[in-house]
Amino acid sequence: MNDRFTAVKGRKAVSRDTAEPVGNISHLLVDATSKRIAALVIGKGRRARIVDWERLSGLGADAVMVEAEDALREPADEREQAGADGKLELLGQLALLESGTELGRIDDVVFDPDTGHLQTLQVGTGEHPASSLLGAGTYAVVLAATGSGKSAP
Amino acid sequence: MLLITGSDVRGLPVVTVRGGEDVAQVRDIIYQAQAGRLQGFTLNKRGFFSGRLSEVLAAEQIHAIGQDAVMILDEDKLRAPEEAPKGVGDPEGGRDVIGNDVLTEGGKSLGEIKDVVLLVGGHGDVVGYQIKRPTGEDAYIPLPSQLAVSGTSLVVPDATEEFARDDLVGLGAAVDEFRTKLGLG
Repeated sequence: MNDRFTAVKGRKAVSRDTAEPVGNISHLLVDATSKRIAALVIGKGRRARIVDWERLSGLGADAVMVEAEDALREPADEREQAGADGKLELLGQLALLESGTELGRIDDVVFDPDTGHLQTLQVGTGEHPASSLLGAGTYAVVLAATGSGKSAP
Repeated sequence: MLLITGSDVRGLPVVTVRGGEDVAQVRDIIYQAQAGRLQGFTLNKRGFFSGRLSEVLAAEQIHAIGQDAVMILDEDKLRAPEEAPKGVGDPEGGRDVIGNDVLTEGGKSLGEIKDVVLLVGGHGDVVGYQIKRPTGEDAYIPLPSQLAVSGTSLVVPDATEEFARDDLVGLGAAVDEFRTKLGLG
């Protein structure tokens, strides 16, 4: 079953090792090249920590299970810091076609919680396949002009 | 065909397709009137009052010119002026068409050039001009691919007059009809 970014944000994260809560999901970081979730951000502000997708033991409907507390790490570079600060947040981000035309704001992203693969990006009533994702940055999410939106029912 | 004027392009963000980052904004258009083609853009840093960027963007490095952004693949498409093609890094002065008188081959003045009109989604094709008619109101004229330009006047075919339109939407249709009539396809 697919999950969505709007539903995952705020979900609690728990250590599989200790069963202790480690925080709540504040952001999801995507890799536009592989069209997957690369990492999650847990917590906010200066206490925000990164967990790589590979260090999750499961992304469930009720909790995000992290292998162990040492899977939570500090942002490693400028881009991860921007992610921890919420500047790479997809929800609410400007969706821009590669032709230079604005589509609107991203309302939700549907993904496969088993693999982290993105499925569709929702912009208003339009649905764009994740295959049309070309780039995701602090200014915009860039989508291929060819994959442009069929309207949701 | 969707068209925009040069003044609509000035101030647009320059955004990377692969990065989703706004790396610059358009300061001004570098235009080569003889060829009827954009050479490129001079750039500002992003944000208000943030000043000029030393790099320029050559037309051949543009992915697409859109209504809302000028798209480039990566930030390395911005080049220092000395590394850019000649017309962009070191634009020739004195051939600016803005303010030129538009004269038909028959010797009639259609007005004065106010701005260039670009094709949206393209790489910098200038398809017409915004002009101020002798009577004062604005109009848009399509452009053949070749024309004579001196720096004070621009000479266009007589047929240009009948394809002058009051708005950009009208010009979009007129450009095709005009080029067909001149046998330019």
